[in-house]
Amino acid sequence: MLRKASSLFLLVLLAVSLAASAFAQEITFSSTQFVPIEEQEFARNHILAPFTAETGITVHLICEDDGPFFDRLIAEARAGRAVSDVFGTLHGNVPILVAEGVAADLGDITSIPGRTYISEFVNLGKMEGKQVYVPWMQATYVMMANKKALDYLPEGADLNALTYDELLEWARILQEETGGPKLGLPAGPSGLFGRMLHGYLYPSFTGYQVQAFNTPEAVEMWEYLKELNRFVHPSSGIWAAMSDPLLFEEVWLAWDHTARLTAAVRENPDKFIAFPAPAGPKGRAFITVLTGIGITQGSQNFDAAMELIKYITSPDVQVQVLEGTGFFPTTLEAVDHIPEGPEKILASAVSRQADSPDGIVSLLPVGLGGRTGEFVPLYLDTYQAIVVMNRPIQETLDAQWALLQDLFESMGAEYPNP
Amino acid sequence: MSLLRRIPLPILLLSPTLIFLTLFFVIPLVQVSGLAFQSPDSVFTLSNFDRMVSDIYFDGALRNTIILLILIIPVQLVLAFAAALIVNQRRRGSTFFLYIYAIPLGISDLAAGLIWLSIFTERGYLNSILHNLGILERPLIFLSSMTPKWMVAAIVLTEVWRATPLVMVILLSGLQMIAKDYTEAAETFGCTWWQKVRYVILPLLKPSIQSALIMRTMLAFQMFGPILVLAGRQLPVFASESYYWYTTVRNPRVAAAYALMLMALSVVATFLYLLLLRTKDEQVGVM
Repeated sequence: MLRKASSLFLLVLLAVSLAASAFAQEITFSSTQFVPIEEQEFARNHILAPFTAETGITVHLICEDDGPFFDRLIAEARAGRAVSDVFGTLHGNVPILVAEGVAADLGDITSIPGRTYISEFVNLGKMEGKQVYVPWMQATYVMMANKKALDYLPEGADLNALTYDELLEWARILQEETGGPKLGLPAGPSGLFGRMLHGYLYPSFTGYQVQAFNTPEAVEMWEYLKELNRFVHPSSGIWAAMSDPLLFEEVWLAWDHTARLTAAVRENPDKFIAFPAPAGPKGRAFITVLTGIGITQGSQNFDAAMELIKYITSPDVQVQVLEGTGFFPTTLEAVDHIPEGPEKILASAVSRQADSPDGIVSLLPVGLGGRTGEFVPLYLDTYQAIVVMNRPIQETLDAQWALLQDLFESMGAEYPNP
Repeated sequence: MSLLRRIPLPILLLSPTLIFLTLFFVIPLVQVSGLAFQSPDSVFTLSNFDRMVSDIYFDGALRNTIILLILIIPVQLVLAFAAALIVNQRRRGSTFFLYIYAIPLGISDLAAGLIWLSIFTERGYLNSILHNLGILERPLIFLSSMTPKWMVAAIVLTEVWRATPLVMVILLSGLQMIAKDYTEAAETFGCTWWQKVRYVILPLLKPSIQSALIMRTMLAFQMFGPILVLAGRQLPVFASESYYWYTTVRNPRVAAAYALMLMALSVVATFLYLLLLRTKDEQVGVM
């Protein structure tokens, strides 16, 4: 009798746990975004928790740097066991995943109701004939200044139409009047200064990110950078993000990724002003950074994963993400709904930069596959050689150009726009 | 059981170590060599080493790796020896001193780097203190490529603070193995404290010094966390370059070439220590 009861009990237990597992679906979301701990907390509490409450799908969020992110996803794909269901990463990283067979085809995403993804971004997410990601978030890099620095703005300079010459003059005046360098750049090992070199300075001075690498215009640009470096804060070499140096007033003037400036405006919205990047002889070049979110090939939870993607790219959630992390929406519906506040300070600089009459949009290179990571270091090494080590400009440029050319040629990749 | 009995005891006792070393050292070593000496299509090549040597950071990395070693190891050895002598006196409170001294051993090198970063940044503790005392008018910038000496000094300080206890623990265990008879005999002959240290303790401690030096040097070659935090890539060393090539550039082959360079340096250093600090037979087995 007792035996019968206990086996019945076990049977019930089994049935209950089976039913529970059928209802409570779990998916794993690997991301190279949301790595800073505050952003992770935000994502877990304000995006994923409401999603679980709405759909009953539990999401395990894994945020990590590029290295471990690739290693794990590629290992899972090679082993044929997709533990991660959803991946979220930079557009420039996706080709590596596609080359390794990590990304699944998402089909037609333009028919998802309630949002219109910016069509240029949808096209960027098509690789090897598949839609491998949904446009998730976008960002760019702008300038930010402590309002105190405005008193030292060179005469006749317009903050929203600044030139690189005026920036140099401004940095010089600041250093001479305040007694120390006040311009900061995120040139530390995890900083994004390399993006300023290839996506901002090069196209602004030469008209191209890559092709004009060792032309006379490029030499002129490097001479400018050597001059500018005299007024750049020497700690720039260890900074990853400029929000802290701005908040601590180590610098009054900085260039960085919008997400890495957000903490400053949020902490003290009245103290800072954001404005577009400067223009050079060829125009005002700036990068649009796009992140995509996709599903792994072989995921056992494709439908649940798609639910998450739809939720996370819905207009309200996108505005929330902007408030939480400083990344801007990728849908037309969400762009109109950004409320007043610190985000508006950045958003207005972003839109002024995008709308500037002399604007040049730089896209990150695609098609470098497994060697994508070598692109930016080539520019950073050139900076190190010319500006820090004071090596002859033309010779250094010729040597680095050979490496750069070899990189694009051996991968059969096209040069990025412009 | 009968099978186990047939294996000679020494081999049986060595086997866990051998298996461990094979799994986690020999096999990875072969794999790393494979990466470093092969092109992506598995053809033997030296191009990865070419790429490494022609990289603009290579010369600096080689120089810094060796300079840091030369600065750190002797300082650590002297400090650790002094501390070991103090603890070995077994006066009241020496155990307490031992525990305090050993605290940094429990801290990861990255955390140690962060602690010292908070001291040395422009708005860090050191600048605040100097400023509040009226010694400085405006904060000094210690950690920048314009002040490489300060950067090196900060790293040496961090590393000395963090890893000296390890050397001390090894030396202390060596000191405790030296039989009292020797020092008592020296005292009977009227040796001063310094003579005792110089002619009795140091020679008898040579085996411990040798193993401490070998361990410390190898770990110093691999030092990485504090450098990454305090200097970024402004002060490249082999270990951080290997990491950089692997994670940022995502070129595991050049990273492997750097790793092999590190191993070559470690082997040379170990060989030199074994040669220079050769222990005579009568110094072994002092009990």
